[in-house]
Amino acid sequence: MALGFGRLLGGTLLASLALGGTAFGCELKIGSPAVLSGPAAQWGLALRGALEFVAKETMQEERLVIDGTPCTVTPVVIDSKYTAEGAASAMNALAAEGVKVVVGAVGSPEVTGMKPVATRNRMVAMVNSFAKDAIGPQWPNVFHIGPGPSGWAGPIIDKGLELYDFDTVAIVAPNDQGGTDIASVNAQVFKEKGVTAVEEYYQRGTTNFAPIITRLMGANPGAVDLASSPAGDAGIIVKQLRQAGFTGPIFRLGGPGTEEIGRVAGGYGVLQDFIWFEPVAMDENLRALEEKHLELMGSPRPENGDYFRWVYAARMMIKAVQAAQTVDDAEKIAEAMRSLPVDDENIGAGHWIGQGFFGINQEMSYPFAIGLIQGGEQKDFIRAEAVSEG
Amino acid sequence: MEGFIATGLIGISLGSQYTLLALGFTLIFGILGVVNFAHGGFYVMGGYVAYYCTAMLGLPYPVALVIAVGSTAALGWLFEVLILERVIEDHQATLMVTMGFYLVMATAILVIFGAESPEFSFPLSGVWRAGGIYFPYANMVVLGVCLAAIALVYWLVYRTNVGRAMRAMAEDRAVAGALGMRTKVLFPLAFALATGLAGLTGALVTPILALAPHVGDPVLAFSFLTVILGGLGSVTGATVAAFIVGLVEAYAAVYLGGSKGALTLFVLVLIILVIRPQGLLGKEVRRA
Repeated sequence: MALGFGRLLGGTLLASLALGGTAFGCELKIGSPAVLSGPAAQWGLALRGALEFVAKETMQEERLVIDGTPCTVTPVVIDSKYTAEGAASAMNALAAEGVKVVVGAVGSPEVTGMKPVATRNRMVAMVNSFAKDAIGPQWPNVFHIGPGPSGWAGPIIDKGLELYDFDTVAIVAPNDQGGTDIASVNAQVFKEKGVTAVEEYYQRGTTNFAPIITRLMGANPGAVDLASSPAGDAGIIVKQLRQAGFTGPIFRLGGPGTEEIGRVAGGYGVLQDFIWFEPVAMDENLRALEEKHLELMGSPRPENGDYFRWVYAARMMIKAVQAAQTVDDAEKIAEAMRSLPVDDENIGAGHWIGQGFFGINQEMSYPFAIGLIQGGEQKDFIRAEAVSEG
Repeated sequence: MEGFIATGLIGISLGSQYTLLALGFTLIFGILGVVNFAHGGFYVMGGYVAYYCTAMLGLPYPVALVIAVGSTAALGWLFEVLILERVIEDHQATLMVTMGFYLVMATAILVIFGAESPEFSFPLSGVWRAGGIYFPYANMVVLGVCLAAIALVYWLVYRTNVGRAMRAMAEDRAVAGALGMRTKVLFPLAFALATGLAGLTGALVTPILALAPHVGDPVLAFSFLTVILGGLGSVTGATVAAFIVGLVEAYAAVYLGGSKGALTLFVLVLIILVIRPQGLLGKEVRRA
């Protein structure tokens, strides 16, 4: 009996050493709480696609070498369902897997839910979210992928005012942090431009917006802003707005998703006059990135334009890990990130901002674009320069 | 005044959609005693079958509707015969089995068609207008089909021998069986009828709203809310409740706003259930 137990113990020790040897090899696990179901799934699919691409690119081109050993990069993506509790649960699962480096999540509720878990488990994260407290001094290891509407809504509204004649706007968004934080900022920017704004919120999970559209139409707005309504919801809203006889321009000052909005609405002809924030201006460098994705992954890049921003974020994270020379010390990786220049080989250079709005200089800012559909026809993206503070 | 009428039309339109959803849900509970958590899954499947038939196979939309109804009814029949029938006496097991089946259906659709919404539009796109009042033609079709479905279900349940047998089994399965009624034929038939209705609703409503793998979640929630309000198992109750829910939702959302409108609806349902826990037209005790 004792002999058997000793053999078992010895075997276990040997197995532990063997497996431990593997674990001590260089492997970077990039965790991601990403929305993979529900009407916001397109954003999460863009995030997952970008992570998988950057992981493969890093390994193929040996971009991450620690102590002379090329590292493997493994994305670990868990559905966060666009909710705070979903993201917190996903982050706990990632922490249990020993993940220290996180890219994502997408939405404000998710980021609100994940930050305490990231801080408690000493993780470093690059998040999206257009929330007013997306990052802050209380979360020193959390970085922001790019400015929210406070940064880019102004130039887009200016373009809208140049093209269309309106002095009132109705802003429609979900009645949770993912909607209210963005809609209230948009309303403020519209007001600064001399446009009277009314905010209208709906219960997340609403499938038929006809009553809300009737209420909106009662306010007789000159324009409508869909703010951060998920693409699936936004498509129904546009369709029902046009059915109700609304002919004015529709803004989309929130996350991108024009393709899906168009599909749900019934085509670009239904969108008619539509103006939106596009994360990047398409050019030769970005087309080269698309081709590289196709070549490496064997399939086209995810449809949503947020893909490019997540590639930027994931590459920056890889650079920070490389500079810190550790795959699991979040403090060192965050420190390395702060001293890196904001730059990407395809998307271009930018700078760190955020001190003014968030109280911490950990937000990446780089050029973006204004998307435009006029008379049902998509126009070329209009390039806008990186937002700066002061 | 125009706004009030327009809101009423929206409420009726919503009510017709909820009726179609609730009829199948309440039929299954009334006859089988099963709360079918897979109901939303059959709705989604109906939508995707219709989409596949029109977009991929190029079939006319009415044919796609028939195929959607047939395929969801067939799957419902198979599910009842092969899985549900084995645990039908155990209420907890039926809850778990139907919920599990919904997850399987939703995941299968996600794997096959992806998470994003495809372009799937109703073939009739115009809108009837009279001043500030408007009513999309597609919604008129849904309302018409809804009225036809209500009539068909009433005729089937109250005017045919099959319906009488189903109601007898709902009253007392053992006695009905002793009198020669074949539960092994009638239960799957009732289940197929209900899932076919869910499939029909999905095929009709998803091109008007949106088609995506997750759209069954709110459908399940609203079906449940409607049949609880109407009285579990009551076809008349479900119909009345569906139109009450639709009208309250419309008027509350228009006059109080999206957030307060939803709150008003749920508070109203809560008050009704406090006063009548069995629902508007439900029986106090279900004997089957």
